[in-house]
Amino acid sequence: MKNTEYIQIAALNQYAYCSHRCWRMFCAGEFTDNQYTIEGTALHDRVHTTGDIDKEDTWQIRAIYLKSEKYKLIGKSDLIEVVSGEYYPIEYKRGRKGEWDNDELQVCAQALCLEEMTGQNINIGYIYYAHSHQRQLVEINQELRDSAIATIAAVTNLLETGTMPPPSYSKRCKGCSLYSQCLPKAFDKLRNYQEAN
Amino acid sequence: MGTVYVTQEDAYIGKVDESLNIKADKKTVLDVPLIKVDGLVIMGRANISPAAISELISRKIPITYLNVNGKYLASIEPDMGKNIFVRNAQWKAAGESAQAVHLTQGFVRGKLKNYRQSLLLAQRRYDLDLNSGITQLSNAIASLEQAKSINSLRGYEGAGSAAYFGCFNQLIRVDNFSFSTRNRRPPTDTVNSLLSLGYSLLRHDIQGALNMVGFDPYLGYLHTERYGRPSLALDLMEEFRPLIVDAVVLAAINRRMLAPKDFITEPVSGAVSLTKEGLHLFLRLYQEKKLSKFKHPVMQKQYTYQESFEIQGRFLAKYLLGEIDKYPPLVMK
Repeated sequence: MKNTEYIQIAALNQYAYCSHRCWRMFCAGEFTDNQYTIEGTALHDRVHTTGDIDKEDTWQIRAIYLKSEKYKLIGKSDLIEVVSGEYYPIEYKRGRKGEWDNDELQVCAQALCLEEMTGQNINIGYIYYAHSHQRQLVEINQELRDSAIATIAAVTNLLETGTMPPPSYSKRCKGCSLYSQCLPKAFDKLRNYQEAN
Repeated sequence: MGTVYVTQEDAYIGKVDESLNIKADKKTVLDVPLIKVDGLVIMGRANISPAAISELISRKIPITYLNVNGKYLASIEPDMGKNIFVRNAQWKAAGESAQAVHLTQGFVRGKLKNYRQSLLLAQRRYDLDLNSGITQLSNAIASLEQAKSINSLRGYEGAGSAAYFGCFNQLIRVDNFSFSTRNRRPPTDTVNSLLSLGYSLLRHDIQGALNMVGFDPYLGYLHTERYGRPSLALDLMEEFRPLIVDAVVLAAINRRMLAPKDFITEPVSGAVSLTKEGLHLFLRLYQEKKLSKFKHPVMQKQYTYQESFEIQGRFLAKYLLGEIDKYPPLVMK
């Protein structure tokens, strides 16, 4: 089956965080809010309330659709800035910089869309961390591009086949809003379980 | 808080800010934050505002209608889960599949082991002789492993249940209550009326949990398809019946919290039901039981019974999706 559906940029981030979570969200249609996701939604609502504004020599465009025909990607940007004709994406995140590189992937995927939409090369992007009020530079280098393209292929395959990646427990499970659906420890617990006679 | 039960005839259930507000005779009788509510059961003919319905549904909280005797009438369910994989696996296993046989075995084994455990505890506690019932249960449990068809499993389930209910009267430790045999539709004695009411409440809770996981509650394995019967909810209920309902019924009777004066007998039909005060007490006991914690034998962590409904539902989904290779019914020591 040839994939004719677009995949959501946000799914890449989820896949890089945990492929099983990505399956639950984008194949099984499950979503549960927790403290972190509610904070995230509130943050994005704030970012998205203003349209495009000129800030001195920086043109800011908020909440526009991003699309790539080449990679079959769609998504929404938080913020695009244009300085001296050069475009770059800024992704807003709650909290501070995490241990995982999934946010970088998301910025890179936005850059791939933006390149196709503007015909320009995008070499940088930013992640704005609401907790520290800091922007962190993301270099859109070849390594990151390769990793984003590989993730796009993996997510495409996941959506096409619907095959569930098995849950497995890691440190990341702690902050996951789908923990009680996924019960990542169940497999191991059950292996050691002896039913009472 | 858990489930809110509205038993007052002509009560009005509305939404006020972020809470569920229940009025009777124009006075607020209950005002509970919606965040604490995970089910609403309306017994009798209370009214509910459209705003309250839409708020509950958007929060994925089911609304169940029971008649004043606790008989299930209908429910308003949130949109069924989008998890087509769970429903697909559930339907694929329908009939006499190896998975259906395994699950049926699990439901029946869970129930019979919990039955036997209740009898063993009662035998010790009250110094009774329940050995013949316990032996029959053990035989039925041992036979389950060899059973290859769902029908033969149903047979052992029937034999085991008969053995358990054959001892049930001895579990009643007060003079003014007694049990001879299970009867229903309508229950015609006090103990059966309590059991029926309890199973009706349990079924509402289990069905809610199954909906949450993404199942179609109307396709079961032990219970076959029949119009309007939530067979999977009845299947999953089996292992919980003795743990929750029978335990609550026996506690209410043996601790003398309910007396014969708390029941009414309908003329002609002989249908027995609780008085309003009796009903309130029973609902409170059921609610307390659901919210009591225990150490889940598989997860090795403290959960409430309410949470364990969903956990067993998750296990069911995991088994059907091939994530785990066996379904572990909740078996208590």
